[in-house]
Amino acid sequence: MVDVNMTLEMVQASQMGMKALGAGLAVGLTGIGTGVAEMAIGSAAVGATAENKEIFGLALLFTVIPETIVIFGLVVGLLLLFV
Amino acid sequence: MGVSISAPYIYVCTRMRIRKAKLLPKEEYMRMLNMSISEITRVISETEYKQEIDELGNTFKGIDLLEVALSWNLAKEYQRILEITPGTLKQFTRAYLRYWDIQNVLTILRGKSQGEKTGKIKEVLVPAGGLDKVMLDRLLAEDSMDRIIEALKGRRLYPVLAREYPAAKETGSFARMENELYKQFYAELIADASGGISGGSQFLAFIRLDIDVKNILTLFRLRADKIQEDVKEMYIAGGTITAADFAALNTIQDYREFIDQLRVKVRTGPVLELLNDLETERPVYEIASLLVRVQMEQMEKLSKRNPFSIYPILVYLEKKKYEVFNLRALARGKESKLPSETIGKYLVM
Repeated sequence: MVDVNMTLEMVQASQMGMKALGAGLAVGLTGIGTGVAEMAIGSAAVGATAENKEIFGLALLFTVIPETIVIFGLVVGLLLLFV
Repeated sequence: MGVSISAPYIYVCTRMRIRKAKLLPKEEYMRMLNMSISEITRVISETEYKQEIDELGNTFKGIDLLEVALSWNLAKEYQRILEITPGTLKQFTRAYLRYWDIQNVLTILRGKSQGEKTGKIKEVLVPAGGLDKVMLDRLLAEDSMDRIIEALKGRRLYPVLAREYPAAKETGSFARMENELYKQFYAELIADASGGISGGSQFLAFIRLDIDVKNILTLFRLRADKIQEDVKEMYIAGGTITAADFAALNTIQDYREFIDQLRVKVRTGPVLELLNDLETERPVYEIASLLVRVQMEQMEKLSKRNPFSIYPILVYLEKKKYEVFNLRALARGKESKLPSETIGKYLVM
């Protein structure tokens, strides 16, 4: 809702604020999603590595796959702020 | 959800799955059937048993080396699992491992009553339960059975031992005491599992299945030995078969009728399927290994349905136990010069 008494500067500032909020949410929420996903994979990876040290590299790779989610969030955040 | 996404559960269940994958496959047993004891020892010294074989290689030889190495490995493995299991899983695992306390105490009592040497008894003990090596050594050092029972004062086993021992001493048979100990063990497991702890219902399902399998096996054994009296003493409460049904089933003379009646009483799906295949009479050892196989398959199914629960741990504990049983059976069979086909029939694969 835009107040009719608002000046152009005020509207622009509000829009900028909304964008910043959106960017924050995009990074924050995807960060939480990544964390939840990595918790399960990470615990399994640590368990697997404890039993067989040779698979450390592979286990690490599996653990960081959910990082893509937060990268998507970061990209969306950057797009919101700078494009 | 709380339990299913807990990180320690995922960690320990993954470890159990990997350990399970490292167990000896069926093909390996088939190969071992054609080997001598020294060859079997060499083969298993290249697997998870390496450390024990190396450590004990100087002290023991031949079948003794194999037997002691297997017992030590099993005990070490079980104790390690207990160390890494978190929270309620530890409680359930510890409760389940108390089975070995009964076995160890009975082995010591039987060994002492038959005048076996302490060293010989020690070889067959598996210190996997609540009674550790130090405690078992203390029990072994006692010179009379009364003192062994007294040394167990304060332990869970003590009340039953104190109650049943005088009669056992008089008759010279530990059978009744053994039955009572196992009955108490299962009653305690059920009490632990139904105490409202999270994950308890899954543990309870396993105990019920175990009790059912044990009761059915007892029925088949009683039939084979044609024993009619005191059957209620051998009955374990808590499964789907009631005490009255158990006694009634034991009185049925005709095999077909027995199977039909058993099919009505048993409500465990996979066991029911097995009973359908038992139309013709078979030797008890075959039925025993079939029942164990059904139990393992059902537990595997449950562990896939509940991937982060007590099941993967129990499946591993059981499979490891049977691996050691199989290797021991193989070694003993070879020692007694039994043909490979006969040994093969006793293996749980």
